Amino acid sequence: MNDTESDAQNKGLVLEYELDAPLEKVWRAISTAAFREKWLPRVVLADAEPISCEPCEEIRYRMRDDEPPFLESVVTFQVVPNADGGTRLRIIHQPADTRLERHPPKAANNNWSCLMRAA
Amino acid sequence: MENDLFKALADPTRRAIFDKLAAGAMNASALRDGMKISQPAMSQHLAVLRNARLVREERQGRFVNYEVDPQGLAIMARWLAKYRAFWPARVDALKALLKDMDQ
Repeated sequence: MNDTESDAQNKGLVLEYELDAPLEKVWRAISTAAFREKWLPRVVLADAEPISCEPCEEIRYRMRDDEPPFLESVVTFQVVPNADGGTRLRIIHQPADTRLERHPPKAANNNWSCLMRAA
Repeated sequence: MENDLFKALADPTRRAIFDKLAAGAMNASALRDGMKISQPAMSQHLAVLRNARLVREERQGRFVNYEVDPQGLAIMARWLAKYRAFWPARVDALKALLKDMDQ
């Protein structure tokens, strides 16, 4: 594991983690509500539905602090395969503009599986 | 007020202005140097940043200097500290979940 962190005072947090699970599995864990709930509970989210979703690449959720003044923020999870057959997860967590509109995913398929993607 | 701070920083131009001021106090016209932004627009952005207590103004005779407001910085620092501790714990939970998923 080689977790790295960098941040700029006012740009929020950017964190990177190496996960030893294949991308498809990590994608299911971050994009399927039932799995997501097990590690990122609904209570920290402003909305259980993602703001945007690019299957097997990136998913964004709106978050809200669980205590006053309930600051809102947006977290972006990006996944890319790493050299060891695992997955690099990048977490970008930034102050939110509450006026941000939610863009519903384009695909009708709500499973967001990435098995269909060409190898 | 703290939510105003987040809204203020959600705008890229205001983030750029805030970044510039983080390097040191300056007046509005020095702030506009190198930025494609009109004077009224700059005034408006500065007003938003001021209301959010990210920036404060300091009058020196006929001139007004703008500088980063430590109050706003402290709120930002608290938020960062909270989530700097939050994410490693969440990722540990994610790693545990990945181990549990369909072996």
